[in-house]
Amino acid sequence: MSEERIKELLQELHEGVVEYDEERVVAASNAVLAEGFNVYNAVMNGLAAGMEEVGELYDQQEYFVPELLMCADALYAGLDILKPHIDPADVGSSGAKGQVVLGSIQGDVHDIGKNIIKMMFEVAGFTVHDLGRDVPLENFVEEQLKTDSEIVAMSAMMTTTMMGMKKVVEMIKEKNPNVQIMLGGAPVTGDIADLFGADGYAESAGNAVQEAVKMVASLRKLQS
Amino acid sequence: MTPKERVQKFFKKEAIDTMPVFSGMGTVTIQAIEQMGVRFAEIHTDPELMGKSAMLSAEMWGFDGVVVPYDMCIPAEAMGRGATLYSDVEGILYPTVPTKWASMDEVELPDDYSTLFSQARMPVVDGALKYCLDYDGGKYAVGGWALGPFTLGGQIIELDVLLKGLAKDKARVTAFLESMTEYVITMVRHYQDLGVDYINIREMGSGTDLLSPRMWKTLIKPNLDKVFAAVDVPVINHICGGTDLIVEMMGDCGADAISVDQKNNIVESRAKLGDDALILGNFDPYKTLVQLDAADVDAAIKACVDGGVDAVWPGCDIWPDVKAENMKAYVEAVHKYGGAATPAVGRL
Repeated sequence: MSEERIKELLQELHEGVVEYDEERVVAASNAVLAEGFNVYNAVMNGLAAGMEEVGELYDQQEYFVPELLMCADALYAGLDILKPHIDPADVGSSGAKGQVVLGSIQGDVHDIGKNIIKMMFEVAGFTVHDLGRDVPLENFVEEQLKTDSEIVAMSAMMTTTMMGMKKVVEMIKEKNPNVQIMLGGAPVTGDIADLFGADGYAESAGNAVQEAVKMVASLRKLQS
Repeated sequence: MTPKERVQKFFKKEAIDTMPVFSGMGTVTIQAIEQMGVRFAEIHTDPELMGKSAMLSAEMWGFDGVVVPYDMCIPAEAMGRGATLYSDVEGILYPTVPTKWASMDEVELPDDYSTLFSQARMPVVDGALKYCLDYDGGKYAVGGWALGPFTLGGQIIELDVLLKGLAKDKARVTAFLESMTEYVITMVRHYQDLGVDYINIREMGSGTDLLSPRMWKTLIKPNLDKVFAAVDVPVINHICGGTDLIVEMMGDCGADAISVDQKNNIVESRAKLGDDALILGNFDPYKTLVQLDAADVDAAIKACVDGGVDAVWPGCDIWPDVKAENMKAYVEAVHKYGGAATPAVGRL
């Protein structure tokens, strides 16, 4: 395949995500398979790179959450086609993956931020154990122990639900102090994450997206 | 001047003796609930427990007004979406809606929203409001509240469907939001008829954390305009999260006051809206009443007054498990700094 064609396909995937054009992403993804282009390269430097730009557009207040969600749909449209065809050897060489237990805390039925973060983790090659929303506190602990995941990521969209995260941090750290715990959601601040004993946080649902995008960007740099 | 008179005059922008201590969001605290010998989960289903917990909290800390109910899923519950009450869970969890519609195709809306007042916990709200209105000879101001049309819609249908639909399925989403507007109007008129002193419209899912200012102008504001035009009692336009980019439009919706949270630059908002606008806000209730040392609460409240609010409001519901010393410091600070006239409200 010519360099020009590779560039063209990556651009199609990238722009299709940014412009939330699912049909364009589907067409480009099918072309990647039909023309024998490296699938992992297409995911990381086409789809994920597009989502990286989406994060920047959100940061610049050019895009808002509706656009993010539509871009995510476009990205998933491509992932659904490409992911089954990723060569494990390509993924295995990057060395920057792990397992994440993810969920919205009990009492909180908001999961938009959580689902976007899930997508970014998946794009980055993590194995995600998504517990969903309104997750009973002990389920985070049980799932981490069962899967031996390196990261537990919890989100709460409201002040009235975030207190449960403190209990989960305590429960997990007691069982396994090496687990990295990330908190996210609108009411969570760095102070609160520190107070709750977590290892990291995203300032808001929106920033959680940015953090996830940055995470993917760093992973891509590590992998390049 | 009774607390009720103080709040009523406040909304008429008539001179009062001092700044009222009240909110458009929940101010129930665990100290009052424990005094009643009940659990937090119990106060959402019994009109007397709901009303009494509000009034005891007001008496305990020195509030001028109360607001009930405490959770936001009752209207969705009345439409058959259910409610998870967490009765068996230790600690404080607010009820949530467990079964939102997953697509626009599933939406079934009633012809007459007034039929919903007999459904689910709607009668509990009516009973609690009546309890508060009658309490101690009607001495306290009583606020009703409703979600704004967009936020209410997000309680009934999955929010991502609604958000994407704003762009991809605009005709159906617009019609759905217009119907939600009718629901909100029906509710606020009902609470007005019960005799509440003010009504807070919490369109809290519409800040610029989620929506662009352009989308807010075209899809949120027109419905809020209709709600505010339909109510005679004082009504507040409350949005939490990012509001700096839309605060002028918020002030132009026809509400008697706007309420913003701690993310708002209140000094700039006052400059944009002018001294005649009633502005309520904008301290962080969790940080101020739970995290801070009590000695630092005074400065947090003073910052709101110095910023130009007419009444110091928390940006959201007060987290019930507050520190008692912080609550005392909060109310004392409002009295301390609220003696002087504010931009829109004079003093006797």
